[in-house]
Amino acid sequence: MTTNADTAIVRLEDVRLAFGQTEVLKGIDLAINKGDAVSIIGPSGSGKSTLLRCINALVTPQSGRITVAGTRVDQLTRESERIALRKRVGIVFQQYNLFPHLTVLENIVLAPTRILGVARQEAEKLARELLEKVRLSDKANAFPGQLSGGQQQRVAIARALAMKPELVLFDEVTSALDPETVGEVLWVIRDLIRDGMTSILVTHEMRFAEEISDTVVFTENGRIVAQGSPREIFHGNDNARIRQFVGGLSGARGSVRDGEGI
Amino acid sequence: MQNGTLTELFVRWTGKLGLNYEFLATGYEAQIWRDGFVTTIYLVLLLIPVSLLFGVLFAACLTSGKPWLLAPVRAFVEITRNTPTLVQLMFSFLALNTFVSNLLGGAQHNPLTPFFWVVAVVGLHVAALHAEALRAGIEAVPASLVEAARGIGFSRLEILRYVEVPLAFRTSLPAIVNNLINLVKLTTVGNAIAVSEITYASIMVWTQRDNVVELMLVILAFFSLLNFIVARIGKWVERRLAVPGYGI
Amino acid sequence: MTVVTAQRPAGRRVLRNIGLVALPAAILAWCLTDLSLGRELMQWLPYLASGFAMNILISLCAMVLGTAVGCALGILQLVPYRLVRAPIVSYVQIFRNAPHLVLIFATTYIFPFEIVIFGNYIAFPDWVKAVIGLAIPASAYVAEITRGAIQSIPTAQWEAATGLGFSRVQALRWIILPQCLRRSLPPWMNVLASITMGTSLASLVGVHELLHAATDASTAVRRLDFTVIAYVVVMAAFFALCYPIGRLTRRLERRFLPG
Repeated sequence: MTTNADTAIVRLEDVRLAFGQTEVLKGIDLAINKGDAVSIIGPSGSGKSTLLRCINALVTPQSGRITVAGTRVDQLTRESERIALRKRVGIVFQQYNLFPHLTVLENIVLAPTRILGVARQEAEKLARELLEKVRLSDKANAFPGQLSGGQQQRVAIARALAMKPELVLFDEVTSALDPETVGEVLWVIRDLIRDGMTSILVTHEMRFAEEISDTVVFTENGRIVAQGSPREIFHGNDNARIRQFVGGLSGARGSVRDGEGI
Repeated sequence: MQNGTLTELFVRWTGKLGLNYEFLATGYEAQIWRDGFVTTIYLVLLLIPVSLLFGVLFAACLTSGKPWLLAPVRAFVEITRNTPTLVQLMFSFLALNTFVSNLLGGAQHNPLTPFFWVVAVVGLHVAALHAEALRAGIEAVPASLVEAARGIGFSRLEILRYVEVPLAFRTSLPAIVNNLINLVKLTTVGNAIAVSEITYASIMVWTQRDNVVELMLVILAFFSLLNFIVARIGKWVERRLAVPGYGI
Repeated sequence: MTVVTAQRPAGRRVLRNIGLVALPAAILAWCLTDLSLGRELMQWLPYLASGFAMNILISLCAMVLGTAVGCALGILQLVPYRLVRAPIVSYVQIFRNAPHLVLIFATTYIFPFEIVIFGNYIAFPDWVKAVIGLAIPASAYVAEITRGAIQSIPTAQWEAATGLGFSRVQALRWIILPQCLRRSLPPWMNVLASITMGTSLASLVGVHELLHAATDASTAVRRLDFTVIAYVVVMAAFFALCYPIGRLTRRLERRFLPG
């Protein structure tokens, strides 16, 4: 934890959360700088997705402090305050979750025009720029049901960007995709990070995490077991558990072990 | 007059078939009958938006998850669905309406007409049926889609308006069209409290002319036509709203 | 999230039970707080009950008649002769779309008040006309249900049955009909509920049924609170009859229809 409060755009301090009897987050401390790309890796059920949902107030932890771009998320009591936060924090989901009754363009334009009050013409112009960025300009008038998974996910990214968020959360965005369409989505995210968008990714794509991250965070059983530069986590780590996990997931990295914990 | 001769021709031809439509050539009774058709059509055109509006409102309450919204609407839906509409109308007109009159100090101060009560009772009854259909549709919207909308920053009402209702409307459209056909038929209960829709107007005619069969033929054809149009428009809307990749 | 979904069905179950108890309980409570009203209601209760018996009688007769005719029409709708099919299809279309009240008016005012059979004059009471008036739409609905049920059985079932050595009649009796019944029972019960509620329309042609009885009673007593409670009793009676039918229908729907 080398960052101080002034430079961190996201700061979590001793965040604890339980669903009923099940403890999901057992004291998370994390600081993320503006412009950084942070990957959260770790076995399924280790609380990664819940952690993301805490950051944009989709779930509220029982205790701990969460500060996002100057807002104390844990202290928000009214839904309207949480909504104000979510407008500034984009999120992309595993299942794309595009609105099936709207065209690609309408999916992107809906939120800016309806909840930010952006003029229709302006929102549409931005939407077309974003579609170009995700290389789907020719699909503006298609319905989500007519697109492949990878294409839908790229639209979902464009939809999140249309709100001009200060940071974007990616929740296992390639896990539901066919292997052949994973690449096109990762390309888009890579471009985004190069442009300096603050990004937090929950991912199982180890090689991708290694390539694009400034920081990699390893979680297990609701705790952060290790965090550091990709080099530290993937190569210099003496934690046997992490080595096993990283080695087990990434086919490129040595022999595939029994895959335990995935 | 072109119109007059056409009517005369119709009366003469049907007369040859043994059907008595002579009243059509008179001014007064023909006028009553025509007004009956107009009133029924007017009721239908008024009731369709009223029922849909309240249907969405009820469905919003039913899916809000708030017990103080859910319980009264649930109770209303169950009562209105399981009791005859005519009984509801009589209850509203004889009990509620009298109550309102007493409250306002006499029937002459009561602005609520029988027509109002028909619209209120039938409208809310069909709204309850719509609400049940829409509720099922809303509950069928995947939870992950709702979460995504929340994540973007939509409020509960905005999610309902831009995501849940448009999707639920599509899945429940066949049921809603069915309810609207029911609505067309239910307008006839106005008869009981002297709203001069088509059955009431027809009684006025046939008590004078004793031509029940003749009037019935036209009334049956009229309702068949009305419901045919409603069903057709329903099908048209269904086609218009069909979305690729979102099956029903 | 899980907490909410876990609570919801429980809440509904409570509401369901309240549904049947609430109206009678409210009536009872009101009668006990105002004993003069309670005494008045007690006096009229047998009269109201005799009216309700008429509703049940009309409903049962209309459903028996309507189901018998409807089944026949539904099967005939599938006959490969257009000359047979066409009039039945139009019968079904017209009477499915016709308001029940219109049909009750039609049968009441078109049929004579007595009929002559072998020189004997037999009274043709209004309630029987109401039965016919409601049996007509019932038959149209049942015809549609029957046709739909038969058509929903894939032809492969027929082939499988004949392949196993069933005769056509045997296949119908042991394989096709049981499936048809299963599929058509929930919609048939919807018709039952709809026709049962439709019996109140007979009051408008002067049949002594529950709603008519309540109107009689309230004009005789001339008390607003009695009028209110009389109509609440009418609603509670219909509710007690139709609500269980509806609940059972929904349960059958869930059980018979996969998904």
